[in-house]
Amino acid sequence: MTAEIRNYSINFGPQHPAAHGVLRLILELDGEVVQRADPHIGLLHRATEKLAETKTWLQNLPYMDRLDYMSPLSNEQAYCLAVEKLLGIEAPVRAQYIRVMYAEITRLLSHLLWLGAHGIDLGAMTMFIYCFREREDLLDMVEAVSGARMHAAYFRPGGVYRDLPDSMPKYEESKLRNKAKLQRINANRDGSLLDFIEDFTNRFPARIDEYETLLTDNRIWKQRTVGIGVVDPDRAKALGFSGPMLRGSGIAWDLRKKQPYEIYDRLDFDIPIGKNGDSYDRYLVRVEELRQSNRIIRQCVDWLKKNPSPVITENHKIAPPKRDAMKSNMEELIHHFKLFSEGMHVPLGEAYAAIEHPKGEFGIYLLSDGANKPYRMKIRAPGFCHLSALDELSRGHMLADVVAIIGTLDIVFGEVDR
Amino acid sequence: MEKILRLIKTFLLWELLQGLAVTLRHLFAPAITVQYPEEKTPLSPRFRGLHAQMRYDDGEERCIACKLCEAVCPAMAITIESAEREDGSRRTTRYDIDLNKCIYCGFCEEACPVDAIVQTPIFEYHGEKQSDLYYTKPMLLAIGDRYRDDILRCKAADAKYR
Amino acid sequence: MLEIEIDGKKTTVAPGSTVMDAARALGVHIPHFCYHKKLSIAASCRMCLVEVEKAPKPLPACATPVTAGMVVKTHSNAAVTAQKGVMEFLLINHPLDCPICDQGGECHLQDIAVGYGAGESRYREEKRIVPNKDLGPLITTEMTRCIHCSRCVRFTEEVAGYQELGLAHRGEHSEVMPFLGKTVNSEISGNVIDLCPVGALTSKPFRYTVRAWELSRRKSIAPHDGLGSNLIVQVKNHKVMRVLPLENEAINECWLSDRDRFSYEALNSASRATKPQVKKDGQWIETDWQSALELVAGKLKDTVAAHGRDSVAALATPNSTVEELFMLRKLMAGLGVEQVETRLRAADFRLHTAGATWLGQSIAELAQSDAVLVIGSNIRKEQPLLAQRLRQSAKRGMKLSVLNPARYDLLAPLAGELIVRPDQMVEALLTVLKAACEAAGKTAPAHIDLSSIEVCDASRSIAATLTAHSAILLGNLAAHHPRYAELHAAAAALAELSGAKLGVMSEAANTVGAQLIGAETSGNLFASPKKALILLNAEVQFDCHNATEALAAVRAADFVVALNPFADGVKDYADVILPVAPFTETSGTFVNMEGRAQSFNGVVRPLGETRPAWKVLRVLGNVLGFNGFDYESSEAIRDEALAGDIAPRLSNALKAPVAVKAQAASGLVRLGEVPLYQLDALTRRAPALQATADAAEPALRANAATLAGLSLKAGDSACAAQAGGKALLCVREDTTLPDGVIHIAGSHPLTTGLGGLFAPVTVERAG
Repeated sequence: MTAEIRNYSINFGPQHPAAHGVLRLILELDGEVVQRADPHIGLLHRATEKLAETKTWLQNLPYMDRLDYMSPLSNEQAYCLAVEKLLGIEAPVRAQYIRVMYAEITRLLSHLLWLGAHGIDLGAMTMFIYCFREREDLLDMVEAVSGARMHAAYFRPGGVYRDLPDSMPKYEESKLRNKAKLQRINANRDGSLLDFIEDFTNRFPARIDEYETLLTDNRIWKQRTVGIGVVDPDRAKALGFSGPMLRGSGIAWDLRKKQPYEIYDRLDFDIPIGKNGDSYDRYLVRVEELRQSNRIIRQCVDWLKKNPSPVITENHKIAPPKRDAMKSNMEELIHHFKLFSEGMHVPLGEAYAAIEHPKGEFGIYLLSDGANKPYRMKIRAPGFCHLSALDELSRGHMLADVVAIIGTLDIVFGEVDR
Repeated sequence: MEKILRLIKTFLLWELLQGLAVTLRHLFAPAITVQYPEEKTPLSPRFRGLHAQMRYDDGEERCIACKLCEAVCPAMAITIESAEREDGSRRTTRYDIDLNKCIYCGFCEEACPVDAIVQTPIFEYHGEKQSDLYYTKPMLLAIGDRYRDDILRCKAADAKYR
Repeated sequence: MLEIEIDGKKTTVAPGSTVMDAARALGVHIPHFCYHKKLSIAASCRMCLVEVEKAPKPLPACATPVTAGMVVKTHSNAAVTAQKGVMEFLLINHPLDCPICDQGGECHLQDIAVGYGAGESRYREEKRIVPNKDLGPLITTEMTRCIHCSRCVRFTEEVAGYQELGLAHRGEHSEVMPFLGKTVNSEISGNVIDLCPVGALTSKPFRYTVRAWELSRRKSIAPHDGLGSNLIVQVKNHKVMRVLPLENEAINECWLSDRDRFSYEALNSASRATKPQVKKDGQWIETDWQSALELVAGKLKDTVAAHGRDSVAALATPNSTVEELFMLRKLMAGLGVEQVETRLRAADFRLHTAGATWLGQSIAELAQSDAVLVIGSNIRKEQPLLAQRLRQSAKRGMKLSVLNPARYDLLAPLAGELIVRPDQMVEALLTVLKAACEAAGKTAPAHIDLSSIEVCDASRSIAATLTAHSAILLGNLAAHHPRYAELHAAAAALAELSGAKLGVMSEAANTVGAQLIGAETSGNLFASPKKALILLNAEVQFDCHNATEALAAVRAADFVVALNPFADGVKDYADVILPVAPFTETSGTFVNMEGRAQSFNGVVRPLGETRPAWKVLRVLGNVLGFNGFDYESSEAIRDEALAGDIAPRLSNALKAPVAVKAQAASGLVRLGEVPLYQLDALTRRAPALQATADAAEPALRANAATLAGLSLKAGDSACAAQAGGKALLCVREDTTLPDGVIHIAGSHPLTTGLGGLFAPVTVERAG
């Protein structure tokens, strides 16, 4: 007599804390072994692409923040580059440095979130707290420049909205802090924003060492990640992987090096690659990217300190004029009025701008019919490709490994569902 | 030799002890947490929080119903109706911001030619029901009046960058 | 033909064309402010500077005639620099008003500044300030914004016919102004708002309400005069905010009369009825549609059963749509009632034509006539845009003559003029007919008695202008005349004799449509008492020829149901008010004076519980249990109502001869014109229109000799009396009137106590 054996299907998410947002995963299990993984998406679909067709070129910008909401400024960067390509302009060099610096700060933000969340998924509780400690400083940098911690709306076609501030906001006195403590926590806030960032870049490598002490050689960590979700280089390419997912498999592909945009070709940094294409290698790649991004940020800070100059194009057909000029001059007022009511008109044409986003190749394709709104926008989101490989990656692994694989994919549903 | 060393390390849980040393160090380091609401984290003068409508020093409302904020608002959160006031000036008869819709992008403030609509550093506000977050003109003016000094300080700090 | 190349594109144009014409034909946009295709060339703004090969400096495209082999560049360095420079100069004195300017968002200056101007200002000096001018209740001025393109000045002079605005002073001091102490009173003055490329002239009723980008644009048809102007109705949140012309070269060109433009204000007036109302014991009670319709159906059925079908009648204004009138007629037919009438202001029902009376040709053809004789029409006020067309034609050499009861100023050169008392218009026309007979050596038809007619020089010269390529037009004053049939018959005879085309300028938007579906059948409904009356859009005290008689008749009726968008006008005499949709809230069709059926859709949803009248009548048919009342759409009704070709059903020819005979005149006679802004329910409720000079209170007007005969002088109060009623009016002297004529406008609350519009009147000093 043979017992009737049936595979067991379970719902993983969308409420599961390890499902990273609103992923709903249907898992078909044979015992504890995954036979099939079927990711369901769309729970965060907001029709960003369709919505873009009814919004002006400027109005679309804040919607970019809400794609991969863990790296909003990188999304903005891709959008601005695409619009600038259509307009046939380039942002001022200082703006490019600022954008690159903030893109790298965003990479730190994204990778730190990934590291902390991946750690907590696999039982390394402390990682989460340490990563968020650094994220706090980074978010302060974003807030200081844009006024928002996440949805910055800071990059603009033609540059960035405002220059970096000369001072950092400080902790204020309170009953719970004595003078000495206040002085200590405000120590790195006495100078400008750039000083604050510089201070961070000095501190950060030691912090990365701490993370590595906790994880890299840790046997539990290795047991959970080594040999899990292996992708060989050919499959990685065939699956449309990009970013750390591709580099983890040993392919040295990084748009910042291969198709340098903005001022990446003026910067000195390295591209880490993995060997085995497993979750552990991807962890190593991302940790090394933290160090490399720190290097880039430091180079940007040095340049920005030495080179004060405009941060947005002075062509008022594209970017609004300064406020005092708008309030006293006719031409400026008219351009301000038209830019904020009708918006700029972008010449007929199409453009695709891709950047090396923390998650991979993030691209914005724009089609303009010459109007004040895009005729069509297409978002190339790296997370979408990575998620679609989930089935292949998790087949034959244990149920608990699915968590490690979802973690290693580094998916954010804002961009997957868009 | 190296193999033996690794074996010893493995048996002694060396890498785990290293990790524990890190956490132990942090146990005696000063706390970095902030005791909210008694303590607060620093807030940038550029912070984009709750909206307010401002007045001139003489008490006259600044808004002239040009509707640029309404036009630029990506979320269509602003509703304005305008008419000629008795003195012949152009004024709003209705200025509503639906904070449920608002995405706090700051474009309304950028668009305003007379610095009437501003985003304040206020982030501690809430509504118990959806309609509580529908702000009308008198509410917005009241916020502007109440936090006038704070708002003006922030705006002055950022003025040179805009 | 001359060959020209613009920006590398080649074309050929007729000699005399300008570079601007050629560019427009090629689809090349050259920025401009002062150029307008319907106005003369000023070349004052210099915005259209272009580079012309072999010309030493940039030339204005609007004023440069094309020469053979010309090569023009609109985007070359020289052209762009020139345009940029001009733009900078234009902005030097422009105030920083964009945020508060109504033009913001639809401003040519903004658009061209962004498209062709510099991004930064170099001007740091003071700007000039120009005091505002009072141009009346329709137009707001902000003269500091003016860029002196002079479009408004040229419009008033060239199109409106009278230079009401002028460009005074020179250089930086120049400013557009009206004559001292005058406002702009033209009946088509609103067009300067469209013409003004900046915010110097804006609409007063529209002031500070909405931005252009908030409005949706919907097409519609003007519901007032018989021209059927095409409209763009601009709507926000289901409220009509503004009306603009929709360009249609065959009808209204790019213009709009003030009546069509500003009457929309009435649509949002407080006197709109929003719920069915029933009068119970003298009190108005709001009710629901079901009970209101059941009440109406029951009453109508009972009245027919008890008093016979002649005891019920229906009155509708000729502004009602084809669909509404068709349904009304069908409903009445279901009840067995034949009496449906739309000729409410007519007094003479003897005329029977072979088809619906119409313009006799298209509007565009009319404008090409060699000569036009206008009979009985204050045409500027009755048909503002048709008058504008005829003015343009007259300036080009068309011989325009008039036969009128007053010397109306057409602001156009006249070839001949006969001004007679209203009761002598037939006789005056007969003199022209006789002159034409004599000139042609023919005799008039037998039914026209020319025996006692004496030909004068004026009639001879008018008769001489009429050729095969000319037109004879009958206006509202003729249509309302107590001897209209005779006027029409005599005019038809004159047309036959001279080969001219006879035309009738229809009074209202759907006068022709009403005839096509037979909604004018019965003549004067008030001649016999009625038990029940249905009033569709009609306010009888204003819409009828004889207000006193009409009011007495509706008051005497047992049951009056009023289908009307407004409650206040009919409250006095109606028993049930059914709120129906005005033209913006229903779909429908108007047939204009040239027989063109123009359908339109509702542009906003009906206010409150208002319903389109065709639907109300359809449901009323359902409630009464009639067959054939199951139309799903107004289109289905229209297709049935106007089935087949309209053209063969239009005719001004007499079916049966009307005896025309000269009559003697005696005593004082009233000239009861319907004022421009009293035409229909909408115009009567448009506040801005009511504030214009044209809407001034009616006075008792007469010429000096007549006033002397009555021992009255201007400024006195006088009491005018006609059969059945009186009116107390202020006396004014009016030099345009012939002797014995007392001009007292009709359709006005002050004169509803009087009788026929052209009836004898007695006058005595009051107080």
